[in-house]
Amino acid sequence: MNPQSQPSTPSYKINCRMSQEAAALERLCQVVRIRGFRIATMAVESTGEHLDITLTLEGTRPIAMLQSQLEKLHTVAEVALGQTSVVRSQTA
Amino acid sequence: MNGAQHILDAFHRHHISTVFGYPGGCIMPLYDALVDDVGVEHVLCRHEQACALAADGYARASGKLGVCIATSGPGATNLITGVANAHRDSIPMLVITGQVPSGLIGTDAFQETDVLGMTLGIVKHSYLIDDADTLPAIMEEAMELAQRGRPGPVWIDVPKDLLLTEVSDAPFPRQGPQDAFCPDLAEALTMLRAARKPILYSGGGISLAQAEDSFRAFAEASALPAVVTLKGIGNPGKHNPYNLGMLGMHGSRAANKAVDECDLLLVIGARLDDRATGKLDGFAPNAKTIHIDADAAEINKLRPADLAIRGDLNDILNTLTGTLQDKPLAISDWQKQCQTWHTTGGFKAADNEEPLAPITGPAFVRQLSRIAPDDTVIACDVGQHQMWVAQHYEFDHPRHHLTSGGLGTMGFGLPAAIGAQFADRNSTVINVTGDGSFMMNAQELATIRRYNLPVKLIVMDNQCLGMVRQQQELFYDNRESQINLDDNPDFVAMARAFDIPALHIERTDQIRRGIETILAFNGPMLLHVAISREENVWPIVKPGASNREMIDETRRTTNKEHVA
Ligand SMILES: Cc1ncc(C[n+]2csc(CCOP(=O)(O)OP(=O)(O)O)c2C)c(N)n1
Repeated sequence: MNPQSQPSTPSYKINCRMSQEAAALERLCQVVRIRGFRIATMAVESTGEHLDITLTLEGTRPIAMLQSQLEKLHTVAEVALGQTSVVRSQTA
Repeated sequence: MNGAQHILDAFHRHHISTVFGYPGGCIMPLYDALVDDVGVEHVLCRHEQACALAADGYARASGKLGVCIATSGPGATNLITGVANAHRDSIPMLVITGQVPSGLIGTDAFQETDVLGMTLGIVKHSYLIDDADTLPAIMEEAMELAQRGRPGPVWIDVPKDLLLTEVSDAPFPRQGPQDAFCPDLAEALTMLRAARKPILYSGGGISLAQAEDSFRAFAEASALPAVVTLKGIGNPGKHNPYNLGMLGMHGSRAANKAVDECDLLLVIGARLDDRATGKLDGFAPNAKTIHIDADAAEINKLRPADLAIRGDLNDILNTLTGTLQDKPLAISDWQKQCQTWHTTGGFKAADNEEPLAPITGPAFVRQLSRIAPDDTVIACDVGQHQMWVAQHYEFDHPRHHLTSGGLGTMGFGLPAAIGAQFADRNSTVINVTGDGSFMMNAQELATIRRYNLPVKLIVMDNQCLGMVRQQQELFYDNRESQINLDDNPDFVAMARAFDIPALHIERTDQIRRGIETILAFNGPMLLHVAISREENVWPIVKPGASNREMIDETRRTTNKEHVA
């Protein structure tokens, strides 16, 4: 497929703090996927009781929808939306 | 006290008197602890799926926590459909499964499955216990979490060795009280008063929040024309003169018309599901939306709200009611208009005067609605019969109508009826099912017999998977595919094999006596109702189409005209 024909996809940065538990990352990734986003980068840092996760996500759905779904997870303490980057073009 | 004993003790302390389960290797310590009198009744179903669905029915009918238990591996995987069903309909449920011993996890041990990983998408939360001393706090948290806010299933997977380990009886930390949260309703009232054609749109969230009484008081005080979703049936009460019934794919013309014309949609405890809204683009095109829900994530999910209010539904409804009682809404023209639509475009089914005529689904359900006692609980299965019940049975309370809404699980009805009967041994509980759905959990006839539950079973037998046949007829050029069930077993003989008496009817003049006979019988009884294979549910909106494009019986063509 010609990359130029692909619609450009918005990309977002999200910081998420979760409590440590067996399935923490799986839970997070599953919600991201099922709510329509793709993980472009992911960094995880374990700080005592918490996991701090930084994600760059791509997706065409409203990011606020994902944020409210992540906030519903029992082990998620905080979700912060970083600056929304310029619409990423696939043509580069 | 070991882990297993602790679990039962926690049930007892939390007044959980009934649990549904099935034993097996890794959960055996719990079953061993059950041998001692622990004040908890364990109901043995004949399939783990039925355990979960019975716990679900128990919770729906009672408003209490439903509990189901199974062993690792196949026990846990068999639970999954029932737990997913509870998840999609936000039913408070606690699931306990045994897991292979801690040291064997990850070794492909006998009956090991990754229950935690496999169930992430169908639980509100889940735990794999890795330290027996965390079990007490997790049990407390899980029971609270399953019922708090928007309820849902919470799953605890416990390795067998930890069920046998002594747990510390140190006091566990208690959850603090929830932060009180009282939203400002002034703007909602201003919008309500400014609206000329407001509609009250409610769903399953009303009974989930145990706000049935506050809702009914609000519906009466506001006198708002009211539509309901499948799970909101019963919310306004059957005597409310402005109750327009169910909207959506199989909703009434009147309900869909009123929503189409309204200028304000007051959505309470509903999530604007596609079966209710049809194509979202054309849904309530002229209306502002006020969306009130316990779950922030439902608001603005599918339709942007002009005003979003998250909070406790009881508090919100009581406040609104108080204000409206002092000064009612001035919407009499709109009320009259909606009532006219309801008279001309509500659900109708002529009672067939011809005594020898074959039975039709709607006529049967209307008779059932007239004959059954007021507090009867109807547990439906999934298909045409489910929609006929939703359309034609007059429910006066949402907990009287148990239906699998979000997941649409065939096989739900019979175990859900069992759960509902355990929730109240004296109530009248009827499972209305189809010949397809009935066979999905027919083994539970044995459970009904074992506990001598007076559950009534009504099998509406059209010799096919009717709902699928209907869609094949209407939307797939009548190319029937794999829907024929004309080789069904003899359901009357089958019931009798489980020592459950049964009766067969097929003519209109037999309806009354058939219903009266099963209701009068002191014990479980099955009524086999032969109905036409060709009958359809009307009206219907094609999946993906706008609710304005309802197809009805007389003209099987797209009908975009108004009902008035
Ligand atoms: C477990 C499951 N499998 C498949 C379906 C798809 N489905 C929806 S309705 C239906 C037919 C139901 O037939 P029956 O129980 O006889 O009821 P009827 O529509 O004939 O009243 C099917 C197969 C489903 N909802 N659930």
